[in-house]
Amino acid sequence: MVSLARKNLLHDRLRFVITVAGVAFAVTLVLVQVGLFLGLLGKATVTIENSSADIWVTSRETPNVDFAHSFPETTVLRVRGVAGVEKADNAIVQFMNIMLPSGAEEGCLVYGLEDFSAWNLPWDVESGDPTELRRGDFILMDRSAERRFGPFQVGDYREILGHRFRIIGATRGAASFTTAPVVFMDFRRAQGLQQTVHNRTSYILVKVAPGHDAAQVAERIRAVTPYNDVYTRAEWAARSRNYWVVSTGLGMNMGITVFLGILVGIVVVAQTLYTSAVEHVKEFGTVKAIGGSNWDIYRILGEQALIAAVVGYAIGAAMSFGMRPLLAQLHLNVLVSPQFAATVFAGTVLMCLGAAMLSFKRVAGIDPALVFRA
Amino acid sequence: MNAMLAPFCCDREAPPRDALSAREVLAVEDVRKTFEEGSQKVEVLRGVSLAVDQGEVVALEGPSGSGKTTLLSIMGCILTPSAGRIRIAGREVSGDEAALRDVRKRSIGFVFQQYNLFPALTALENVEYALNVKGVRGRGANAEAARVLDLVGLGDRKRFLPRDLSGGQKQRVAIARALAGSPEVLLADEPTANLDTAVGTQILELFQKLAKEENKGLVIVTHDPKVRNVADRVVGIRDGRLSDPTEH
Repeated sequence: MVSLARKNLLHDRLRFVITVAGVAFAVTLVLVQVGLFLGLLGKATVTIENSSADIWVTSRETPNVDFAHSFPETTVLRVRGVAGVEKADNAIVQFMNIMLPSGAEEGCLVYGLEDFSAWNLPWDVESGDPTELRRGDFILMDRSAERRFGPFQVGDYREILGHRFRIIGATRGAASFTTAPVVFMDFRRAQGLQQTVHNRTSYILVKVAPGHDAAQVAERIRAVTPYNDVYTRAEWAARSRNYWVVSTGLGMNMGITVFLGILVGIVVVAQTLYTSAVEHVKEFGTVKAIGGSNWDIYRILGEQALIAAVVGYAIGAAMSFGMRPLLAQLHLNVLVSPQFAATVFAGTVLMCLGAAMLSFKRVAGIDPALVFRA
Repeated sequence: MNAMLAPFCCDREAPPRDALSAREVLAVEDVRKTFEEGSQKVEVLRGVSLAVDQGEVVALEGPSGSGKTTLLSIMGCILTPSAGRIRIAGREVSGDEAALRDVRKRSIGFVFQQYNLFPALTALENVEYALNVKGVRGRGANAEAARVLDLVGLGDRKRFLPRDLSGGQKQRVAIARALAGSPEVLLADEPTANLDTAVGTQILELFQKLAKEENKGLVIVTHDPKVRNVADRVVGIRDGRLSDPTEH
C-alpha cells in the first residue's frame, strides 16, 4: 500500500526535520529533566531501597530518612516481641560535624548500627569490612565524600564531633539527598557522640519472618508502639520522596518543565502539520474527489504525526542517553527506567496525535470540487 | 430518438440512439442547481438533461460561468443537484455523501486541468494510491497501476516523480489514474488547457482511443476546438441550459 503520508513527509525534508527536531527537543527535555529529578530522588531513598529492612519504625512525624528524630532505644524490645518479626535492630541516622585536614568543618550523615551485615548496609563496599566497625573507633566513608571533603585514603583519621576515627574502608553509592556524605560507624559509638541520642535511637529496622505479610506485621507493630510511626519499605520510601518533591517545590518545577516540553512539542508538531495540511489542501481535495473520505485524510495526518513521534522519540532518547556520561562526570545521575521511557514514548505519540487533530478541522471542510479550480 | 440528446449532436454521423441507449453509462435528467450567495439565490443549472453511452466521447463547451464545471461536478457525484435525477452505470444516484463517495470510487474517473498528481509519489504510486483509495490493495493494485500506465504509453516512466515528467506525460499519468479501477465514466476538465497544440492533440487522441477500446463514457469539458475532432458529439451549455454549440 502506498503511504502518501510518509512520502509527503519525506518529500518536504526541511519541514520533516523541523517537526522531528521539535519532538526530539521535547523528548530530550522531558527525559533528561525528569531523569535528573528521579536520579536526585533516588538519593533520597537509596538506603531504604538497599537495606534489607522490610519495615521502618520512626519517631512521630519524621519527614524523611535523613531528618530523623530520636526515641527511646528500648522500644525495640517491644517490636521484637511482635508476631511475624524475625529481627529488629536500632539504627542511628544523625547529622554530625566532621573535621577535615584543612581545618574546615563539614556536615556528614552518620549511619550507626550494631550489625551492618544483617541489614545489607552498606551495600557496595569498595574496601574494608563493616563487621570490623564494632571493634574500635572506626568508620567507613563513602567515596562521594571526596567531592566535598577532598580525597581520603584507608588508614586516614578524621574527627567527628571532636572524636578521632580511623577510616578502615570506603563505600560507593551511599549518598544523601542533602549531599552530606554518608559515614558508617558502630551504633554505640554513634550514640556516644551526641547527647541527644544517648539511650535513644533514630529508627528500628525490622525484618519480617518468612510467610508473613509486611503490611500486617506493620499493623501489629503500630499497636505496640503508639508513639511511633511504622512504615513498610515502600511506604517509607514514598514518604521520604514526597517530602522533597512537595516541600522543596521540586515537584512543581518538574511539572512545569514537563509541561513546557509537551507544549513545545505540541506547538511545533501542530504548526508544521497544520501548515502542511494547508499546503496540501488541493491534494486532499483530489483524495476526496477520487473517492477518499475525511478518514482517509485523517489517517494521512495521523500517520505523519506517528512517524514524527517515533523518529523524534528515537532521536530524543538517543540524545538523552548520550548525555548521561557527560552528566555523570558532573555527578548528576539521569535515571531513566524502562517504564519511564515507555511512558514518555506513549506521551510522545499522544502529543503528536493530539497536535495532528488540530488540523483535522481544517481538512474536514475541504470541498472536493476545488479540484476543478485552476 | 432520445429527445434530450437530439438537438446537440455534432456534425459527425452518430449511431442510432436506440442501439446506444442500451449502452448508457451516464445520464442526467432535468438537473437544476441553485447556489445561495448571502441572501441571493443563483441558479447555475436550469434543467439540464444529457446522456452518455459506453465508448462515446462527448465534448461539453460553453463560456465561463455557463455552468459546465457545475454540471461536471454533479455528473461526477461531487456536487448534489438541487433537483433532477442522475443515473450512473444504470443505477440511480442518491443518498448521502458516503453513497456519492462510493459511486465516485466505483464508477468515475477524473482528469483535471492541473493534473492534480501527488508530487511526492512516482507515476506508478500516483495510480496505485488511487487504487488503494478505491479499496484495491497489494500486488493487485501494483499490477493494475502498471497495466494502465502501459496503456497510456508511460511504461518506461513508472518510477518518475511528476516534477520529472513533461506536461503531456503528467496528463497521461492523470489519465492512467482515472482509468485505474475500470470506472464506467471518465470526466475530464479542460485536459489540454496547459498543453501545447501537438501534445494536446496526442492527449485527445489517447482519450478517444481509450474511450473506445476500454468502453468508457467520456465527457470532456473544454474550450479547445481540437476536442471537436475526437468527440462523437459536441454539446453546448449557456446560462445553465444546453444549447447549440455552434452559437459559441
